Amino acid sequence: MKLHYHKDIDPQWAWAEYKPTAQTPWTMKQVAHLYRRAGWGANWTELQAALKNGPTQTIDLLMTGKPGLKAFQTRVAKLAAPLEETADEHRLRAWWLYVMMNSPHPLLERMTLFWHNHFATSNAKVQHVGRMYRQNQLIRTHALKRFGPMLHAISEDPAMMVWLDTVSNRKKTPNENYARELMELFSLGIDQYTEQDIREAARAFAGWGIKNDAFHVYQEDIDSDSKKVFGKAGSFDGHQIVDMCLDKKTCASFLSRKLFKHFMSDTLVPDDALIQPLAERFYKSQYDIADLVGVMLRSNLFFSPDCYRAKIKSPVEFGLSVVHMLEGRVDTIQFAEMLDPLGQRLFAPPSVKGWDGGAQWLNSSTLLLRHNLCLALSSTEDQRILNRCDPSRLVKKHKTGAQSELAPVVTMLSELLLQNDLPATTRERLQLRMKQLREQKYARYWNAELIMEYQIRSMCHLIMTLPEFQLL
Amino acid sequence: MFLHRRSFLKSTFAGTGLVAYGLSSPQFLTRAAAATPLLDAKGSRDTILVVVQLTGGNDGLNTVIPFNDPLYAASRPTLKQKPSDIKKLNKDIGLHPVLQGLAELFNEQALTIVQGVGYPNPNQSHFTSMDIWHSARLDGPYSDGWLGRSLGHFKQGSGSGYHLGNQGEASPLALTGSIKCPTITSLADMELRASGHTNLDRKHQREIIEKSGQASVTESSSLLDYVQRTSAGTFSTVKKLREIAKNYDSKVPYPANRLAERLKLAAQLIDVEIGARIFYVEQDGYDTHADQAGNHSRLLTELSSALTAFYRDLKARGHAKRVVILTFSEFGRRVKENGSQGTDHGAAAPVFLLGESVNGGLVGAHPRLDKLDDGNLIHHTDFRSIYSTILDQWLGVPSNKIVGQFQNLQLLKKT
Repeated sequence: MKLHYHKDIDPQWAWAEYKPTAQTPWTMKQVAHLYRRAGWGANWTELQAALKNGPTQTIDLLMTGKPGLKAFQTRVAKLAAPLEETADEHRLRAWWLYVMMNSPHPLLERMTLFWHNHFATSNAKVQHVGRMYRQNQLIRTHALKRFGPMLHAISEDPAMMVWLDTVSNRKKTPNENYARELMELFSLGIDQYTEQDIREAARAFAGWGIKNDAFHVYQEDIDSDSKKVFGKAGSFDGHQIVDMCLDKKTCASFLSRKLFKHFMSDTLVPDDALIQPLAERFYKSQYDIADLVGVMLRSNLFFSPDCYRAKIKSPVEFGLSVVHMLEGRVDTIQFAEMLDPLGQRLFAPPSVKGWDGGAQWLNSSTLLLRHNLCLALSSTEDQRILNRCDPSRLVKKHKTGAQSELAPVVTMLSELLLQNDLPATTRERLQLRMKQLREQKYARYWNAELIMEYQIRSMCHLIMTLPEFQLL
Repeated sequence: MFLHRRSFLKSTFAGTGLVAYGLSSPQFLTRAAAATPLLDAKGSRDTILVVVQLTGGNDGLNTVIPFNDPLYAASRPTLKQKPSDIKKLNKDIGLHPVLQGLAELFNEQALTIVQGVGYPNPNQSHFTSMDIWHSARLDGPYSDGWLGRSLGHFKQGSGSGYHLGNQGEASPLALTGSIKCPTITSLADMELRASGHTNLDRKHQREIIEKSGQASVTESSSLLDYVQRTSAGTFSTVKKLREIAKNYDSKVPYPANRLAERLKLAAQLIDVEIGARIFYVEQDGYDTHADQAGNHSRLLTELSSALTAFYRDLKARGHAKRVVILTFSEFGRRVKENGSQGTDHGAAAPVFLLGESVNGGLVGAHPRLDKLDDGNLIHHTDFRSIYSTILDQWLGVPSNKIVGQFQNLQLLKKT
């Protein structure tokens, strides 16, 4: 898949607040689009409420989360307590999926996931569930606040220090791993520093380590001699290096670009003029993440065709959107196991660069597994997951009027899952499948209700295998 | 902003265009294949390339070792290998002690080792350096790969490649081009499940789902078009794999490691004549900044045992003559070990070529340890000259169109 650079988007229009008009009304499509990016898709109740409340109120709610966040966080922290003792990575993964699935503030979880991918620490090397959990909590604390404090904190984070070898960086024997990724991946991006900057900056982190499972500076390993970084000389320590990275304006544009890709589009590469206002604002606000995210989610550009279905759902986004929209309750241990082969194993990103995302999420193997996952989640066939979604129960809950007619039920499911935004050829295929389902013979002991339930499951599965459903 | 479908399309076309995707439509695939030249050129038929990527920057100096050079031991106080353990290839150069299988293949002249391979102004970022090796370009944008660009030049019907990876692992940039290469984990995983309560119902269900790749392109946004093409590719691959024999018995035992599993899958696909010319596998874990000795030794053990089993299996089935295996890593490591019993990012490193059609032996001198560039080995052979040799003499693709002008090397037997 190729990217395209957009030259003709007017930045002033792009970042101005979207206001519904007759030409650009607030419909189911906008609601679902917003919820796909800032939540896990809109379920039926959210879809209806947001239609009524309009964009401002809906986005406000998504930015702050529903009430009860504190109580929820206390509860899930208690659930996490035994993780440390069991040292079971699977349970940690299941714990986070549970939090994502149930949190009253899904955007906060999405941002935690974003930063998990940014700092891309893997338990494959850290080998310490407690540290991975604490890094996850650290990221969550900062995820929608300021980037600076997060970058300082992550530099001292035990999981990170093991992941990028800060723990073995000593004056006599510097290890460059953290200094390099701090600049290349965490703050500035490639070409914004020299190899010399890295070698010198590495010395500033010498002596940083862990004692009693917490950050500790080993005085004897510190290198207090002068270092020359970004053309400045001084006996810098690690925090000063972090600040020097944050001081550079390129840090703000580097992060703005990454967040643009995350929230706006996989394929649209913003030119400098388009990214500039975001970066300027981000820098001036001292890297206020919520402010930047808010600007993007409220913008004209976000609600324009350029960003509509312009991202491929990641496996976590994909799986959670199915469960959330179908209002299912699944066992997250089993769920985590099923997401794993789709290409996103939480707490185990593939490299220090994290998951590439975009088109890279899809290939023959993962697409097939997505189809099979949908089947597992919506049918009664797959034994791997015991607690599944029940589309027919969902229909009973929300649909007023006749429930014994397949066609209107399918319309409702297609509104819920794809806002009925389907090409004619796809509609024809749905019709054909309905016809097959209606005309085929069923076992004699199936009553009308069982048959209907089966038909709804089958159609629901089919809708979720459509290419449109892969897009965010 | 969302009007009805037609206005949406209109603005999509007007604003951003589908140009970037148009080139990779299925029609283009057919057209490129039909127009492919070089049908009679040497290597244009049936030859297969298997690329093994050692991800993370393999320590070349502890893979192919100049054991007589006192600077080797001096630079590697804890990581040096004992001369008595090293698998000697000649009086100066030897392989890491665990590379027993590869040493045997070297003696059978089935292994060519190109020493001192790299590129000008080496970049020590894993990702940029890997992008350079994959794209065969020193500067970005790294939008496609050397193999991906080659696929369109293969003779009709043979222009495909497979990435054999973990489920969910992305296909590498090297394979990216106008023709999409699928990632395959195992034959068994490639099955579309259906819930139908009768066989006919299941058949109907599968048929309808499999058609989702065939929606008309004119009604799609560009990304949707991409997903549809992936769907179409998925279901045709599934069909093919369903047809191939499931009873493959390897002629030799493969070791129990992931690399070996993937190479065994490659052997299966080669043996059933799936028609692909390129197979791509990765072995991760070479970023050894700390505690290198044990990890590196484990990785090389896996590599050597997996490659050896793969070669022996291919040979027993009569394919060893038409398969060349190429191993590379994005860079070597710093000559001097760091204080964590590890090594930091370096530059030049050796490249292996394996198969019955390779010349065998060492190509090029080991880079000097007394003349370094900022602590790194200096390369004398550009990796693109290895690519160009493979393209011209093995795959039958004009190398200058893919990687530019590079002198071919003496790597392959003259046929």
